[in-house]
Amino acid sequence: MRNAVGREIPERIGDRVLRPFEGAFATSNDRPKAPRPVKSAPRQEDKLVPSIDAAIEACGLSDGMTVSFHHMFRDGDRVVNQILDACARRRVKGLRLFPTALFPVHEPVIEHIRSGVVNRIEGSMNGPVGAFVSQGGKLAEPAVLRSHGGRWRAVEAGDVEIDVAFVAASQADSYGNANGVHGPTPCGTVSFCAVDAQYAKKTVVVTNEVAPYPAHPMEIQQGWTDYVVEVDEIGDPGSIVSGTLQLTKSPTRLRIARLTADAVVASPYFTDGFSFQGGAGGISLAVTKYLGDEMERAGIVGSFGMGGATKLLVELLHRGLIRTILDGQAFDLDAIDSLRDDEAHVLIDPGLYANYDSRGCATYKLDTAFLGATEVDLDFNVNVNTHSDGQLLHGIGGHQEVAAGAAMTMITAPTLRGRIPVIVDRVTTVTTPGETIDVVVTERGIAVNPRREDLKERFAAAGLPVRPLEEIKAEAERLVRPIGKPVFGDEVIGVIEWRDGTVIDVVRKVEGWT
Amino acid sequence: MHTGSEAKGDCLVEVRPEGHDGITIETKSKELLGAGIRSAVAETVAVLGTGEVALRVSDFGALDYVIAARVEAAVRAAHAGTIPATPSVDRAASDRDGPRRSRLYAPGNNPRLLAGIDIHGADCVLLDLEDSVPPEEKAAARILVKHLLAAVPFPEEVWVRINPLESGGRDDLEEVLRGRPHGICLPKAESAPDVERLAEVLSGIETELGMPVGATWIMPIVETARGVLHCEDVATASDRIVAVAFGAEDYTRDVGARRTQESLLFARSMIVAAAKTAGVQASDTVFADLGDEAGLAAEAALARDLGFDGKGAINPRQLEVIHAAFSPTDEELSYAQRVVDAAEAAEAAGSGAVALDGRMVDKPVLERARRLIAYGERLAGGRDTR
Repeated sequence: MRNAVGREIPERIGDRVLRPFEGAFATSNDRPKAPRPVKSAPRQEDKLVPSIDAAIEACGLSDGMTVSFHHMFRDGDRVVNQILDACARRRVKGLRLFPTALFPVHEPVIEHIRSGVVNRIEGSMNGPVGAFVSQGGKLAEPAVLRSHGGRWRAVEAGDVEIDVAFVAASQADSYGNANGVHGPTPCGTVSFCAVDAQYAKKTVVVTNEVAPYPAHPMEIQQGWTDYVVEVDEIGDPGSIVSGTLQLTKSPTRLRIARLTADAVVASPYFTDGFSFQGGAGGISLAVTKYLGDEMERAGIVGSFGMGGATKLLVELLHRGLIRTILDGQAFDLDAIDSLRDDEAHVLIDPGLYANYDSRGCATYKLDTAFLGATEVDLDFNVNVNTHSDGQLLHGIGGHQEVAAGAAMTMITAPTLRGRIPVIVDRVTTVTTPGETIDVVVTERGIAVNPRREDLKERFAAAGLPVRPLEEIKAEAERLVRPIGKPVFGDEVIGVIEWRDGTVIDVVRKVEGWT
Repeated sequence: MHTGSEAKGDCLVEVRPEGHDGITIETKSKELLGAGIRSAVAETVAVLGTGEVALRVSDFGALDYVIAARVEAAVRAAHAGTIPATPSVDRAASDRDGPRRSRLYAPGNNPRLLAGIDIHGADCVLLDLEDSVPPEEKAAARILVKHLLAAVPFPEEVWVRINPLESGGRDDLEEVLRGRPHGICLPKAESAPDVERLAEVLSGIETELGMPVGATWIMPIVETARGVLHCEDVATASDRIVAVAFGAEDYTRDVGARRTQESLLFARSMIVAAAKTAGVQASDTVFADLGDEAGLAAEAALARDLGFDGKGAINPRQLEVIHAAFSPTDEELSYAQRVVDAAEAAEAAGSGAVALDGRMVDKPVLERARRLIAYGERLAGGRDTR
């Protein structure tokens, strides 16, 4: 069957029935949420167990179960590998891995797939695990990729039933209250998996600091927690700042950032109370910096900046240029400090941030957002999941919900990465539909979605280089000969869900090349 | 024999010895990129007319024109080849009095820094073969600059700074004129004959290439004590000159000065006076401290006050400040408009004398006002020039 962005989607894969994407806000998920398991427990002094092995034993973790994790330590995480190694030692087989995201540090997962400890993954795969799965590393079912809010929704809807949730927390008390801001290695927030902790049949808090009762903030509550285990190491906060979190020095990228900031200033949204979300990419960080200066110059105070909170966003708060930070996850150590110390730095979980099945999520209050892209096509569809060679290498993150939510969604991307064009006829994979994308900013000009003639006029009036996307694409293509294109077979290796649970695209296995 | 490098945006080309044949491509993704790179290499080899050559090309994200340049440089070095007939370029001539608020330098042998140098809205892009290119890379650099010129339709002016004529400059010209730059920057210009020699070489090559003789502008760079003292001779030495530039780095070294605004004042004033005597533009030196935006703004404002029309930039980040300094202000434009309006009103009334706010407006003031308005319209009508 063909979905609303023209992608061919199988009607079912194994036992899983796929619902085709119908439009960004077309689905009405009008049904009750899945029941949460009742967790009543007798009075007890503490829930401490002596080791990971003991926790696994106590949970009755066994073959075929679903285990969940959060990714707040990003590339510094030490919990996923520890737990899976323990499972391997205990000869557990056929686990379904349900992380919020995997990073290069999780490369050992590949070995666990090979040996059969893990045979399914539902979650974003950044790096080697994605490459392995793409190159034929066989999973029993296709990987399922969801946005942050989409994952939360899937748990609430009962699409994924979690057997054991492992919550890495930088501080917890022995009765199961846990947080991410205190302790020797804070990671910012652990609320990312609050839904896991509530819906899982068993919840294990894994911490490297057991504090006297009551530990707080109670991001994870004692009423959800079955066991607490203390380990030497849960993560390296230094590696939270992984890779992308550098202000760019590239003149091309700085020009994109400058044009983006200028377009925001020229838009109707740049008034008192203005709100925005920037990500952690080099261009996005530079836009945040430029916007701060523009707000100061114009005497505008923003209502909130949303993150992925970074040092730059915290600086805007401290300079009085935004009243609030709504923080879904901390992208660097300055953000973690601010989350702990600044009253106006407000923690929001992915449900509040982005859940489609809610009566309004935080992204819907965004005036604008600037997001990255691996590819953008002439229908303004965006791909962030696969490379142009068809390999599954990145997660969705908050891309879908921010694009759907912001009044003006801007994609910032260079026209070429090395010899690989970013603006294409048709994206390799649709992550986010063109109907939610308003503006594409490249170093060669600004393209405006035909749905937004109003913006086009304002940008042109401000002297910004507004050009058709086709023209920008052609200009970049003059510099490089066409690249090869993967030929896809029938076998589906990944399912890309839209945030409402429908399927916006599938990733098929590469079988050859044009 | 190698050319190129392993830097991002470049490629490394090796002409392989006897016993090898064909073209070997090494790249991050053979399936994705291999065929495109192979076709770029093969086309270049065919043009060079050396017949079969054995090449190994290792790609690090090079654009087509970089691949063509690296292959040409490697093959010509190995086979003592001559300059091929292609690429040939058709570039629209520029206006001799057009805006030159900025001249943005880019090192001629660095593909990463050259990529996208055309997009920043500089009034003049200046591809450098002189100080930023080490001696052993000069040959490869002039070939790279030629291919860049051929591949990229620069929206504003594009210039090449050559080496001194007696040390590589002639070879630079033979190569890069095929890319039809709007003009040539002559470093260390000190006398009329320096410029005349360049003009003569240009005429020879223009004739050889079938270009109109005189099509290529000259911008002498005055950057020595001797140059400053003779800058009137320099500025008036050729009709090809459209601007005279100042180079403070070499000048301070030459005279033993510390670089302060005071120590540069004499040279700057001399250059402005010489340029204006010749009826051409004056372009100020570069400001090297990239982080000091306020310092750049102050220096650009001073240069503007002195009569300069533009200033060098070492990074696109400097363009916004420089363009702001050398663009007419709204006040200047509206005053000029009032002058012109007053003149038109006087003419309509049949009066020879033009007065504005109780003061007489003489002819040079009126002409200057008209020029300013035309210049302002040009800047506003151009593409994104911020």
